[in-house]
Amino acid sequence: MDDQACPRCKTTKYRNPSLKMMVNVCGHTLCESCVDLLFLKGSGACPECKIPLRRTNFRVQMFEDSMVEKEVNIRKRILRDFNKREEDFSSLREYNDYLEEIETIIYNLANNIDVAETNKKIELYKKDNKEQIAKSKSKIARSEYELDEMIELEKQKEEEKRKELVKEEIEAKKRKIRDKAALIDELSFSDSNATSIIESFTSVIQKKEAKVPVKATQFSTGIKFGNQGNQSYLSVPKIEEGPLYSYTPIRQQIEGPSPPGWREIQARGYVSHVRNECDRDRAGGFKAHVACLRALQEAMAGLYHNPSQRQAEFATV
Amino acid sequence: MFPQSSQNKFWMFSDENDLTILREKTNAEFIEKHGANMTLEQKEEHFLSNTEERTLLRFYELQLRDFCRRFNPSMPRPTVATALHYFKRFYIKNSVMDYHPKEILVTCVYLACKVEEFNVSISQFVANIKGDRDKASDIILNNELLLMQHLNYNLTIHNPFRPVEGLMIDIKTRYTSLENPEKLRQHIDEFLERVFLTDSVLLYAPSQVALAATLHAASRASANLDNYVTDILFSREQLGGIIEAVRKIRSMAKCVEPPSREVIKALEKKLDKCRNQENNPDSEIYKQRMQEMLDEEDLQDNERYAKIIQDQAAYDDKILGVNKILSPIL
Repeated sequence: MDDQACPRCKTTKYRNPSLKMMVNVCGHTLCESCVDLLFLKGSGACPECKIPLRRTNFRVQMFEDSMVEKEVNIRKRILRDFNKREEDFSSLREYNDYLEEIETIIYNLANNIDVAETNKKIELYKKDNKEQIAKSKSKIARSEYELDEMIELEKQKEEEKRKELVKEEIEAKKRKIRDKAALIDELSFSDSNATSIIESFTSVIQKKEAKVPVKATQFSTGIKFGNQGNQSYLSVPKIEEGPLYSYTPIRQQIEGPSPPGWREIQARGYVSHVRNECDRDRAGGFKAHVACLRALQEAMAGLYHNPSQRQAEFATV
Repeated sequence: MFPQSSQNKFWMFSDENDLTILREKTNAEFIEKHGANMTLEQKEEHFLSNTEERTLLRFYELQLRDFCRRFNPSMPRPTVATALHYFKRFYIKNSVMDYHPKEILVTCVYLACKVEEFNVSISQFVANIKGDRDKASDIILNNELLLMQHLNYNLTIHNPFRPVEGLMIDIKTRYTSLENPEKLRQHIDEFLERVFLTDSVLLYAPSQVALAATLHAASRASANLDNYVTDILFSREQLGGIIEAVRKIRSMAKCVEPPSREVIKALEKKLDKCRNQENNPDSEIYKQRMQEMLDEEDLQDNERYAKIIQDQAAYDDKILGVNKILSPIL
């Protein structure tokens, strides 16, 4: 697969592992050393299609297929100017036509079809839409700016939160020391029972701790719960909740003497008569009880079964 | 569990009489259908009677058991029991003359292997069959769906093996006066072998069969389980029914005897003549019908293909406004 080779010096990736392929606007590749050699002066002709190229336009090839590389490059350039968005059109149809047009231009340039004509078209578009292009560019910039601001805000909040946590921790430590001292004082000077004193102290501490949790107003990322309101997200649709599900155990009809239950098997020693589960069985959640219970249930189920009763049933049906 | 199972709901019959009536009906229906223009004597001469069918089936049940015993890799007992169960169920509602038992036999075993999670591939399975193996695998795979359909897709079978284990555990726990309950096992297994050749599995719950086996084994090993049954397991009012059931199962298991070879030979000869040729893979009718079905499928495929082509042409026509896309090279 590694047959990437420079068309000029024929070096391959195999022979020179640090080989870097470069590509220019025409879509033909050259290795880095050839670029250095040929474009010593800063500009020259492509050895394959003789198009004049500038050295600064060489980039490292990202895609194996240089045509893809070329197309990506063209696309980037075209989209910088053709930057209208869906909101700028009155109907979806128009927007789609616009996208179609962009694709045609890119395709033409990438495949060298009517290059001169297409370039003219682009120039014309640029001239016609100068104002709009500039506006759109600034719009994009502004939205990026907003994002930056949001990130900044978040960082600030995080910092605050961290500080608060540290403060709280110190406070808690202090309180603990205080409580301990009080307890020792009490123990050394009071006449009452030592255990009861300790108990009363622990209950007080527990009560305090139980009070601490404050209702969270932020996500763990530091964003406030209510913050989404002023953004243009769609609100999550509320699901109508029915009554809560409550579990009712399955009642099996046995038609026989009732078999012992899960507890009884253990208590009355039924389990000791089946093979004990080994570690490997237990890993899957299996216990000998299961097999034992099932065997007993099946032994009892249907013992009262009476064929002649069935006949009576059938007769009524 | 058994009381809620399809086995209890659809495949339990009230007594032997009930089964006989059903089988006679099946037999009569077949004769009615295939011998409409024969006199009564001709019919008797040509077709198998119900009792003859029963004899043949008993023979083939033994065959099935022996086939499973010889099976390589060795087959677990529940699989054999399930296969026998399927076999019995199938011939309650189908005549021996309609589907030959030797074909249904292997199909039952194959299906039972699947249901009881005894994993063998069809090639492995067919390796156990003497004779033409390709044909055998064709027969099995062709009949498998038919068998399931006639079983009404009630494939879960409750066998008495687990209940026997349960009873053993219970006896060991609650009836400690019995010494060495394990000595019963051998007799229990023997008894269960025989029970599966009778109709009692279609009449009684698996736990009842298990209890009968245990009691039978106890009497064979001269152990006394009477107190266990009367005092520990059952209350007074339930006792009558279960004693009757156990007695019946034991008496049914007693009178299992293989039919003689000569009788079977004569019956098979008769069967070869009167069997439904449409279901005989060696017959002309069967081959012809299969061929027709194949042709039909081919035809359908061709038609479908032609239609797709037409649709596409129409679509091209509509979109491009030309009748044919001309290749640029030509």
